[in-house]
Amino acid sequence: MTFAINIGMALFIGPLVAGIVRKMVRARVHSRQGPPIIQPFYDLFKLLGKEDLESSPSLLLRYAPLVAFAAILAAALLTPMGLRPPLGGYGDMIVFAYLITIAAVAVMMAGLICASPYSMVGASRELMMHLVVEPVLIICLVTATIKSGSLLMWDMAGWNYVNGLSISMVVAGIALFLALQAQVGKLPFDIPEAETEIMGGPFIELSGPKLALFQWAFFARQIVYASVLAAIFIPWGIKFIFPWNVAAHLLKIIVLIVLVGLIDVVNPRLKINQAMKYFFGVIAVALIAMVLALLGL
Amino acid sequence: MSGLDVITAALIFLVVGAVITALIARYRTVCGYVASVIVLIVSIWIAMVAWQALTRGPIHSVYVIPFLNIFLPFTVDGLGAIFLLITSLVATCATLFSVQYMSRYPRYNLASYYPLLLLFFACVIGEVSTHNMLLFLVFWEVMALTSWGLIIFEKHDPEVRRAGWIYFVAIHAATACILVAIIILYLQTPTKSFELSQMRQVMANWLVVSPGLAHITLGLLALGFATKAGILPFGFWLPHAHPAAPSPFSAVLSGLMVKMGVHGLLVTFVMLLPLSSASTVGGIVIALLGTISIFVATLTALQQRDSKRLLAFHTIGQMGYIWLGLGTGLALLRISPALATVALIAGLFHMINHAAFKSLLFLNAGAALYRTGTRDMDKAGGLIRIMPVTAITAIIASLSIAGIPGFNGFASKWLIFASSIMAGIKLPLFVFLAIIAIFISAVTLASFMKFLGMLFLGKLHVGPEVEHREVPLTMTVSQVLTAIPCVLFGVLPILVMKYLYTAVSSTLPAGFSPTFASLFGRSLLNATVSLPGSSTPTGIWGPLVILIAFAGCLALAYLISRMGGAKTREVPMWLCGEEHSFEEVRYPVHSFLLPFNRFFASLYPAHFDTDVSSSGHSDETVNTKVRQ
Repeated sequence: MTFAINIGMALFIGPLVAGIVRKMVRARVHSRQGPPIIQPFYDLFKLLGKEDLESSPSLLLRYAPLVAFAAILAAALLTPMGLRPPLGGYGDMIVFAYLITIAAVAVMMAGLICASPYSMVGASRELMMHLVVEPVLIICLVTATIKSGSLLMWDMAGWNYVNGLSISMVVAGIALFLALQAQVGKLPFDIPEAETEIMGGPFIELSGPKLALFQWAFFARQIVYASVLAAIFIPWGIKFIFPWNVAAHLLKIIVLIVLVGLIDVVNPRLKINQAMKYFFGVIAVALIAMVLALLGL
Repeated sequence: MSGLDVITAALIFLVVGAVITALIARYRTVCGYVASVIVLIVSIWIAMVAWQALTRGPIHSVYVIPFLNIFLPFTVDGLGAIFLLITSLVATCATLFSVQYMSRYPRYNLASYYPLLLLFFACVIGEVSTHNMLLFLVFWEVMALTSWGLIIFEKHDPEVRRAGWIYFVAIHAATACILVAIIILYLQTPTKSFELSQMRQVMANWLVVSPGLAHITLGLLALGFATKAGILPFGFWLPHAHPAAPSPFSAVLSGLMVKMGVHGLLVTFVMLLPLSSASTVGGIVIALLGTISIFVATLTALQQRDSKRLLAFHTIGQMGYIWLGLGTGLALLRISPALATVALIAGLFHMINHAAFKSLLFLNAGAALYRTGTRDMDKAGGLIRIMPVTAITAIIASLSIAGIPGFNGFASKWLIFASSIMAGIKLPLFVFLAIIAIFISAVTLASFMKFLGMLFLGKLHVGPEVEHREVPLTMTVSQVLTAIPCVLFGVLPILVMKYLYTAVSSTLPAGFSPTFASLFGRSLLNATVSLPGSSTPTGIWGPLVILIAFAGCLALAYLISRMGGAKTREVPMWLCGEEHSFEEVRYPVHSFLLPFNRFFASLYPAHFDTDVSSSGHSDETVNTKVRQ
């Protein structure tokens, strides 16, 4: 059943929350009506039926969207989402971090294979962002490992819940939230896609089901990242009895993603070098958290 | 196998083979096949010996050279067995690859290739199967000379000669250090013996009465082995020498020869040095040097346009991972035997994996060079369209070295990360080393995205003279053979860890390591790390379950993508309505990582690689751009 909950959360809550953000946050800030909340589903289903135009036919390009989608779902199975993660007994946080990396690699592969200069630029930027954003996640999780003595994400969450908040975990949580914005590909950090300058970057040559799968994978990725933050660093509610712990988790991730959406609406896009500089600052914050944890705080 | 001395037999066979190949070197292809058969037979032979040493314990034998009355004592222990297994894999594949590859050099006499190659393998085998330091030194020196002869195979190229010169000086400086250390130890042994066990007693004595002398000796040995292993700052010769050699021998250099430095290091710090505070200090220094190598070499690799030079820098980086794992293990020997065992296994595991994927990568680069005639990744691209087998094995190797789950590089990196993070709880320095290692692991991925993206994926882009054909069968077979362990050890890491545990625990004092089951669990599917004092496992990697789940998700993704019944149609690429030739809009190699390189320009020595550049012009342009 936890399988169903985690997969379901990743697949359906992602687009739903995106719809909520578009209708309730972005449209409201723009003072307009906005599309219906389930518009992201309409978009996905429409794309799935659209013709698939291939400019550089290649087996790898055909599988890249599938791999990205599957890697995110597999990572979702390792993520605590209110309950003990279904595959938590088979992979720790290092495995999780690398599964997320597979998805990023699939996006880069797609960009590189297309051989359009725009997609090459997009792939390059995707890589740059990954190189500066991923360390934040790793350092924050290592901080939790130092505190809890375990590499398993569920044990980290449990430890944090039992032992109460500590300074190092709070600082790590803040760093992770600052990185969340880029991890979910939102403004001011949607630099790899940047519709207005490089027209979708790695996705410029993709259409139909391929594009739909990538988009869906990105929606799911938001949920996975937000879940890590919500479950490990904001451990409120993980010991509630069954439906309530999942409900509490759902509430936490919706709040997080709406906050991210709000920042998205009121910010312009940064240049890649500005973003990298910013993230080195965030990495420094995360390192401070780790040092605090090493000092036993 | 008692009566017949197995190791001597293998050595004699290889020496005889060297003579035969020297005699028939005029028949180029035949000579290659003869060498391959000889190496294959010896490989199977030593693999069987190694298997026996791992399952039944060390094999001792003494060979007496007739008439001269010289004793050659050989001992194949658990550790040596691991190195013998690597040798058999790399030697077979590299020799087989050479058969067709050497047709690239019609002007050169193959009598200066195959005989040296066979002698080189003989030295490697001899070196890892002896506990007598005199014999060790002899093999070590002959190995240095034969490898030098192979590196300068293209003698007419001044750059190759220069690379050979750098190698010759560096490696003999290393030999000098080791020689001095061994002579000091020899003079102190009561019976004037070169046996390792006697030297160990000298060392134990010194640690009490004159620790200074003990540390100087250890330092000299570590310096020598670090130079051989290509660890920075002593491994400066490596990026010159590895690209200069013919590709199959580059594979041997990276896959096998630098590992001899690891073997020497373990002999020094585990077999020679008794358990003491010196091992903690030594371990920390080794881990630090390893991390420096990881950081500097991998970031320098990002700038390379020459495919083989890029791989050479990654060799230094990956050796750094091995040293980080081993250093963590040595530093923890006195603090936590359980974690120390895990970390030593991690380092050795990565060494085996590196032997497989790095040899494969050099063979891939060699195949690309064979077909396109250039090592400049800007001048050739999209080779998957003409060389599918090479490209697919290159993808496997790249994903392995980048540490993608399901491939062997991940399993060993996972162990290294897990052990150094957990070590950090006791020695905080190691957490920082672990973070650097994890971060650079992502950089490695970036670098190999470039390697794959530019050389193998994308639009076909080769010179007009290039034949549109896969490389010959012997070359594809050897690539596929090397790719097998990359996948197999990735899916079933616990099998390898089991034998590595035997090797490590038999090298450490008896009863020192906890049992295998208490460290890694009983399951064959899961690699779990459990440390004493914790009720739940500390880290888990269950490749089969995760891969099955991944496959399930993949099937789901496929179903979803077919849900709408979308049709596929081929269309031309869209360049915003403008007509450009592909050449005009091609995205050059160095642009790919430009923002990152600019950002890091102040952090690492950009001069480091401008010295001997085999592609000459290219690196300077990259560096000036980075400098801006």
